Amino acid sequence: MKLFRGLLKSPAFLVGMTLFLGTLLIAFLAPLFMNIDPHRRVGLPFMPPSSEHWLGTDHMGIDMVSLLVAGLRSSLHVGFLAGIVATIVGTLIGVYGGYKGGLLDDILTVGTNLFLVIPSLIVLILLSSSLEEGRSLSLIALIIGCTTWTWSARAVRAQSSSLRSRDHVNLARINGYGTFGIVMLHILPYLLSYIFMVFILQTATGILSEASISMLGLGPYDSVSLGKILNEAIRNEALTDGAWWAFAPAMVLITVIAFALYVLNTSMEGIFNPRLRK
Amino acid sequence: MLRNHPQLKHILSRAGWYLLTFLVAVTINFFLPRLGDANPVDAMMAKASSGLDTKSAREKEDAYLKEFGLVEIDPQGNVLRDAAGKPQRTSLPVQFLRYLGMSLRGDLGTSILQHPKRVSEIIKTALPWTLCLQLPTIIFGWIFGNLLGALAAYKRGVFDRGFYPLALLASAVPAFCVGILLVYVFGITLEWFPAVGGYDDGLIPTMSWAFLKSASYYYVLPFLSIFLIVVGGQAIGMRSMCIYELGTDYVKYAKLLGIRESKILLYMFRNAMLPQLTGLALALGSMVGGALITEMIFSYPGLGMAVLTAIQGNDYPLITGCTLLVTVCVLIANFTVDILVGLLDPRIRAAQAGAR
Amino acid sequence: MGCRPDQGDSSGGFPRSETLYVGGRQWGEPASFNPLLSSPDWPVSGTNLLYEYLLFYDPESGKMEPLLAESYEVRDGEIEVVLNPAARWNDGQPITGWDVKYSYDLGQRYKGIPIAPIWKYITEVKLTDEGASPYPRHVVLVLDKERNNPLIVLDSFTEQRIVPRHVIEPLLANVNGDINELNKLKFDKDPVVSGPYRLSSYSSEKIVVIRNDAYWGNHALYGGKLPAPKYLVHPIYKSNDHISVGLQQGRIDASSSFVPRIWLKHKKGVRSWFDKPPFFESASIPMLLVNVTHKPLDDVKMRRAMAFAINYKDIRELAVSGYSDEMKPGIILPFGLESKYYSEEDAQKYGTRFDPDKAKATLKEAGYTPVWGPDGQLVETHDASGNKVPTVYIKSPTGWSDWESIVRIAVKSMRDAGIDARERFVDASIFWTALFAGDFDLMMNTPSPAPAPSKPWSRFETLLTSKEWLPEGEKMYKNQGRFNNPKAPDYVPRIEELLDVIPTLKDDQALASAYRELNRLYMQYQPSLPLVYRPDQFYEVSTRHWSNFPSADNPYTPPQIPGDRLGTKMLWQIKPVQN
Repeated sequence: MKLFRGLLKSPAFLVGMTLFLGTLLIAFLAPLFMNIDPHRRVGLPFMPPSSEHWLGTDHMGIDMVSLLVAGLRSSLHVGFLAGIVATIVGTLIGVYGGYKGGLLDDILTVGTNLFLVIPSLIVLILLSSSLEEGRSLSLIALIIGCTTWTWSARAVRAQSSSLRSRDHVNLARINGYGTFGIVMLHILPYLLSYIFMVFILQTATGILSEASISMLGLGPYDSVSLGKILNEAIRNEALTDGAWWAFAPAMVLITVIAFALYVLNTSMEGIFNPRLRK
Repeated sequence: MLRNHPQLKHILSRAGWYLLTFLVAVTINFFLPRLGDANPVDAMMAKASSGLDTKSAREKEDAYLKEFGLVEIDPQGNVLRDAAGKPQRTSLPVQFLRYLGMSLRGDLGTSILQHPKRVSEIIKTALPWTLCLQLPTIIFGWIFGNLLGALAAYKRGVFDRGFYPLALLASAVPAFCVGILLVYVFGITLEWFPAVGGYDDGLIPTMSWAFLKSASYYYVLPFLSIFLIVVGGQAIGMRSMCIYELGTDYVKYAKLLGIRESKILLYMFRNAMLPQLTGLALALGSMVGGALITEMIFSYPGLGMAVLTAIQGNDYPLITGCTLLVTVCVLIANFTVDILVGLLDPRIRAAQAGAR
Repeated sequence: MGCRPDQGDSSGGFPRSETLYVGGRQWGEPASFNPLLSSPDWPVSGTNLLYEYLLFYDPESGKMEPLLAESYEVRDGEIEVVLNPAARWNDGQPITGWDVKYSYDLGQRYKGIPIAPIWKYITEVKLTDEGASPYPRHVVLVLDKERNNPLIVLDSFTEQRIVPRHVIEPLLANVNGDINELNKLKFDKDPVVSGPYRLSSYSSEKIVVIRNDAYWGNHALYGGKLPAPKYLVHPIYKSNDHISVGLQQGRIDASSSFVPRIWLKHKKGVRSWFDKPPFFESASIPMLLVNVTHKPLDDVKMRRAMAFAINYKDIRELAVSGYSDEMKPGIILPFGLESKYYSEEDAQKYGTRFDPDKAKATLKEAGYTPVWGPDGQLVETHDASGNKVPTVYIKSPTGWSDWESIVRIAVKSMRDAGIDARERFVDASIFWTALFAGDFDLMMNTPSPAPAPSKPWSRFETLLTSKEWLPEGEKMYKNQGRFNNPKAPDYVPRIEELLDVIPTLKDDQALASAYRELNRLYMQYQPSLPLVYRPDQFYEVSTRHWSNFPSADNPYTPPQIPGDRLGTKMLWQIKPVQN
């Protein structure tokens, strides 16, 4: 609680939180106030911003604001889902290996380090290109989660192995708690704030990864996403035709989300890790 | 013998570990793209068979299937067919074994899309471009970023407060956004720098002055698009490492002893550098992936685009060839850094000596 | 890197005023310049810069123009071509009837090479003046009696590369006549060719050809002039938008790639055939092929309802930047040479056009009931007996941006009308497999796109012929929608009769009425869904470095980019811009 109050006093945290909540508000409240339809043609291709269409239209004559709101929702969806998957997988492997130690830990560590070294974007591309039955948004999120968990596993493992020989853990062990019980009751709670930070970073990674593969044309086939908006704008010559409204807002949104999440993460690091406070 | 050479022992054990990693990577490289059941020979047939009747189309298809080792062949060299007349596909594990054998002999096979070109030939022309773009960018970005980060940590105050959010922002902007912006502003709107390509279309790559001049002109925008982000990312890491080091006991102790500040800084910098070196190795992996997008945005020659077109056309031999190469590069880089850290870091040196 | 017999100046650069940059004909890294392959790299494919054809076809006049052959004559049961006596290979050897006969005969021996299918329509290639002169120049192709089709043979004159026998024959003998081995040769070391340029160098970034000043046609065809550009360079870019940048910045002088909103590029010196809409001259019809063996597409009423539902105007305005005339029913182009076969009266009576109410009425009449969700979106469609009609999927390759847009619009219009359609973008390799095997409900395709003497017959034939009808799963290279199964009870023999008779008709009146009947049958059965008109190639030029390009105001060649068929001729006419 004290930590939380500390957070509220940190300007970086406030900035990050405001930006992040801002994007959430746009994503979820905009549809209540305006007609968001990313499929309906409202005019000619690349109409400049006007009072009717605040950010003009895309190459298919669709209202850019609609597209951006829909794209933002998809990106957040991918980010959270990928973040949850990566954090759960990474935490499980990390906590378990860190607590157990010994051979199991060695095997898990070797496995983690293996996947840490192999470029994850390449694996991501290989996987998403071989999926014949179309790449849905959630599938892409799952794939991203399954390829980016490695460094969270490593980070969590380091923390959990330092907890291993703490008194309260030893006490629990003497009292006959099983491994599962100890991990759940005596290790995880101490790592929660840390895992939350990991989750934030993983979410940012998820959003950026989705944008990257969408840029390569391997994006979801079933929904609008910020990366896809960019990809389509470029392929349809928004750059040469000077239609900045077709790509700049999407870039700003991606950057703002990633920036907000990074700032949140570092500000929390500053609070949770007192050494950095000064 | 190794007992007396802890460093050699360290190197050997790391080498063994990297060999294991390499084997896993090879396996992944082979199986992942083949998960989907798209048949690349069909794409070739689409190109080659317009106007063929069914029989001759089948003959041609058989020839391709045989060449790529996708089907079982009887001793006479005919394609084995099942009862329904469909060619009998070679099972993946068998294909994998053949592939391993071929790779060991340095034979990466023939490209399917650019048939009859060898994969090694394609890689040989593409690789220098990717290396020339990526290596200097990453290394300079890393050095510059670390210097900035250390400076920010040491100075703190106004400089840090202005610099830190900027660096954070730079590391949050996806590489392709920077690339697109650079193309839009300097390539298309202002026409200061070329927006597309690696050198003037009217030149042929030679070691001539005209070519080098043109290549460096075309180099500016792609370089910047990666450089800015590397600087941002590395600076943030270095900054927090240095802040951490500033608070350590040895720094406090050294200060108490009255050791000169520049000397303390040097120690601190060296210690903070080591984890950053590891970070560099890991970053290499993701940057190779990023090269793909940079090359796409700038239509820059190189491996990235070869991989992308290969993926879209299910050109398995080319995909596995390129990703194998990328993996090998990343592994070598990591290995080098590992060894360097082992040699430089007194803590690890001590641990090695203690293990004796 | 290929060989470089001759490079520009010492620094390896090509002087801008002597170099013409061409784009859009080569996408991947060059792999082979072997003229016997079906799709070798630029400029072997799609130009006469290296290997030449016998004749040019002028899509504006419908006439043939001389190239290697100076004349041709269609007689009963045979066609004769006469070679230009001046024609030479660039090693000085004359181009003879033996070369022509050899180029055709190879297709009789090897079924896998591009000329092979012609042997369904001819039985023999004869040299009638063999022995009478130092070398034969009169070549007679004897037509098959059963499949008497002079149109296909004429087409081959305008697209078949004539290869040097004195080069190919020894090479083939070297590999014991194994064509697969011969196909592996790349022909990239300054090969023997007949055209005005020769292969100079190539890499993954560009292909360079250099002028052959001793080209035989300079005197025989162009009054002793040399082509203006000494070098033709084809830089290899990675996507359409990069070529567009190249055109606008004067790095590319001519391209055939799709450039949207070309009017925005006028101020940068980019020009198309017309300076005002539709900017290009259409010659082909991108459409949705329909697999008529799938439910509910076997129902002609469903197909017609789809044709009424599609918003052709949206497709024209959004997907192709308005580069198309207004869509008319049927598959005869209502403009240009084909317009003489087009009947507006039939179109009104039998054709379909965008009319959502009519689409809904047609569905209702056929017993289909759309089920709408609370949000006003279509949920599914039920047939007369209350069962759910299967969702139909439109397949199209991922990444082909203009086609993707077209498909999105088509899906949206169909769903609005109550037809349960969805898009399915697939990998290019899967796309082609599915196309030939008939593994699709609806599929984007442009059948038989290039202008040729056989138009519009070949468009009809590609879509309708059931001579080689095979069930789904077997590969069909024509009529992939499996229309008009000859063994089915509802087989329409009249269609095949008309396809057989049209190539033999000489009387214009008879021809017009046969085409009219065929187009009427097409409209009645609606075996596919035409969507928009598209040029054979997008002809775009940049006037920054070269001038006097042909255009609608100065049409001295048709809209074909330099080096491509008749577009070759402009190389002698364009002029460098003096700075």
